[in-house]
Amino acid sequence: MRPRTKALVAAGSGIAAGLAGLALTTLPAGADDDPVLPAIEPEALVASALAAEPQAFSGQAEVSNELGLPALPGVDALDFESARVFHDGQESARVQLEKPTSEVTFVKNPDEAWAYDSQERAARHVTWDDADAAAAREHAEAQLADPAQAAAQLIEQLRPTSEIVVDGTASVAGRAAYELVLTPKPSEKTLLREVTVAIDEQTRMPLAFDVYANGRTDPVLSLGFTELDLGAQDPTLFDFTPPQGTKVETTDASDAAGHGAGKDSAGKDKAAERMAEHSTTMVGDGWDAVVIADLPSDLPADLPADMPAGMPEGAFGGGQDLAGTLAQIGQPVSGAFGSGTHVGIAVGGAIVTDDGRVAAGAVPQQVLVDALDQQ
Amino acid sequence: MTAVGPDTRPHADLDPHGTLPARRRAPLGRLLRSELRWIFRRPRTLVVLALLAALPVITGIAVDLTFDGAAAPAPTGGPGPGGSGPGEGPPIFVTMASSAFVLPLGSLMTLLILLLPLTVAMASGDALAGEQSTGALRGWLLAPVARGRLLLVKAVGVLVVALAAATLVATSGLVTGLVLSGTDGLVSMSGTRLSVADVLLRLAIAVAWATVYLMAVGAVALAISASTEHPMLVVVSVLGGLIVSGVLLQISALDWLHPYLLPTSLTSLADLIRDPLALDGLAEGAFRSLCYLVIGMSLAYARLTTRDG
Repeated sequence: MRPRTKALVAAGSGIAAGLAGLALTTLPAGADDDPVLPAIEPEALVASALAAEPQAFSGQAEVSNELGLPALPGVDALDFESARVFHDGQESARVQLEKPTSEVTFVKNPDEAWAYDSQERAARHVTWDDADAAAAREHAEAQLADPAQAAAQLIEQLRPTSEIVVDGTASVAGRAAYELVLTPKPSEKTLLREVTVAIDEQTRMPLAFDVYANGRTDPVLSLGFTELDLGAQDPTLFDFTPPQGTKVETTDASDAAGHGAGKDSAGKDKAAERMAEHSTTMVGDGWDAVVIADLPSDLPADLPADMPAGMPEGAFGGGQDLAGTLAQIGQPVSGAFGSGTHVGIAVGGAIVTDDGRVAAGAVPQQVLVDALDQQ
Repeated sequence: MTAVGPDTRPHADLDPHGTLPARRRAPLGRLLRSELRWIFRRPRTLVVLALLAALPVITGIAVDLTFDGAAAPAPTGGPGPGGSGPGEGPPIFVTMASSAFVLPLGSLMTLLILLLPLTVAMASGDALAGEQSTGALRGWLLAPVARGRLLLVKAVGVLVVALAAATLVATSGLVTGLVLSGTDGLVSMSGTRLSVADVLLRLAIAVAWATVYLMAVGAVALAISASTEHPMLVVVSVLGGLIVSGVLLQISALDWLHPYLLPTSLTSLADLIRDPLALDGLAEGAFRSLCYLVIGMSLAYARLTTRDG
C-alpha cells in the first residue's frame, strides 16, 4: 500500500509540475496588465515621438503579415518570422531577418549598406557619395523591419488627414507604452480602418505598429518588438565583410534607387515611386492618395537570375515577362483612361495600364480608376 | 545472452568474523559501471553508434561532390516563381556547403528528427523492458537496491547513450568538414566569420542541448519501458509519438498545442548559426525538454516502485 501511495504521489506531482512548466512556455512574453501612465494629449505624444532622440538599442521584432501579397519573386521580402534589430542611435543599424533555415542581414553604416542573403550566398553592396546619402537612407528596406523607423515615418505622413487619439496604454516588450490610434477621417476613401502605434513612455520610441483593414478584425500587418534592450551596441555589428564565396553585386545608390523595394504598408506605391522618379504624380492626399507613375522605359527585361529571393527588388522582377505575370495575379480593368490590370492586396492595390503607367495606393480599385481618369 | 545481473549480492564480501552481514547498499559507482558495461557490450548499441557517426561523413562527401567543393549556391529552378516557396528553403547544409561548422550542426539537426531519438528509445527499451523480458530485471528488483536508485542507474545509462550519440554525430561532422574544407566557410547565417573557438563553443552548446532533448525522449521511453516487457514496443511508441507530433506541428490551426509538443524546440537549433548568438529559443527548448523529463521520470518511478519481481 505504501509503495502504491508513493507511486501515485510521484506520478501526480511529476505530471502536474511538467504540465505546469509546459504551460509556462505558452504564455506570451510581456503579457502583463496594461500599465498606468499619466494622461497625455495625442498631439504632444506624436510630437514627442517625432522629436525623440534616437536610441541605441538591440531588440527582437516580430512580424505577422496578412497582406495577401501576390506570389511574385521579390515580394516574399516580408516572409520572415522575426527580426533582430541593432541600432547605434545614429546612422548605423543592423537588421537580421530570421527565416527557418536562412537569414537576410541588412547592415547600414554612414558609408555603405549591405544586404546579405545566406540562402543564396549573395550580397548587395550599396555605396553612395554624401550627396546621395539621403536617397540611400531610403533604400534600406530593413527600415520596414525596424518598427521605430517605420512608424515614425507613417505618423508624419498621416497627421493631416487622420483622427489621432491616445487609446489607453499597453505593455510592449515588457515596457510601458501609450497606444496611439490613427483613424482615417470619414472623407478618406481608403481600405485602411486604423493604424495603432505603441509608443514607449520613457524613450518615446515606437515599439509596435498594427495596421487594420476594413472588414477584418485581426491586423493585416503587425510588427513590433518582443524584446528591447537599450544601451550602446558593439560597433563591430555595423561593419560587414561578405564571407568568402559570396556573389557581391555593388551598386551606387543612384542606381539602387531604381530597384530598391520600399514596400511600405500601403502596398507598392513606394516601389512604383522609385521606379519612376522622373514622372510621378499624386492624386489626392492622405490615406487615399494615389501615386501615378510611368513604368520606366528601361525596365530590365531580364533581371539577373541570381537575384536573391527576399532581396529588395522592384515590384516586378525575377526575369519574367511583365505582362504575363500581371495576367496571372491581377484582374483586367478598364475605364476612361484605357485598360489595364488591377492587382489588389488587403490594404490597397495597383493598376498597371496597358500604356505603361502605374497607379497605386491604399484604396479600392474604383479610386485608382478615378485617379487615372483624372490624370 | 546469459542473464547475469550485476553482482550485487550483499554477501559477496563477507566480513571475516562470519557474523551475519548487515543489509548494505550496493555502491552506486559499481552499479553504474556494470550498467554501462552492459550497454556498450550490446552489439546493437555499437552498430547504431557507428551508423550515426557515418552519416555526417556521407552527407559531407555527398554535398562536396554535388557542389564540387565550391561554395555554390543552391540551384534555383531557373525563371519562374523564384526557386523555393516561402519559408521552405533547402536544408542549411545544402546552401552552406560542407563547412566544418554547418555540417556537424546540420547533421545533428537532421538526425535529431528521428534517428537519434530512436537510438535513445532503443537504449531505454533495453534498460527496463529488455531486462524484464530476459529475466535480468529480477536480480535488480530482488537486490538491495532502492527502486529510485535503480531508475537513476538506468537513466544515467540512457543519458550516456544520448551524450555519446550526440557527441559522435557532432565530432564526425566536424572532422569531415575540416577534412573537406579546412577552416574555410566558418560563416554564420548572418554573414559574419566565426573563429574556430567560437565554432567549437557553438557545437558544444549544440551537443549539450541535443543531449537534454534526447534525455527528455529517453525519460518518456523509460516510462513506457517500465510498464512493458517488449523493448520493441518502446521504440514503436516513441516513433509513433514523434510522427504524430510532427504531423500536429504541420497543422497551423493547432498553434495553441505546439508549445506542448517536444519537437517544437528543434527549429531553435538553427539559432546557433546566427550571429550574435541568441540563446532564448534554445533556453525555451531546453526548458520544454526538462518538463518532459520530469513527467517521464516520475511516471517511470511510479511504475517501478509498484513493480514486483
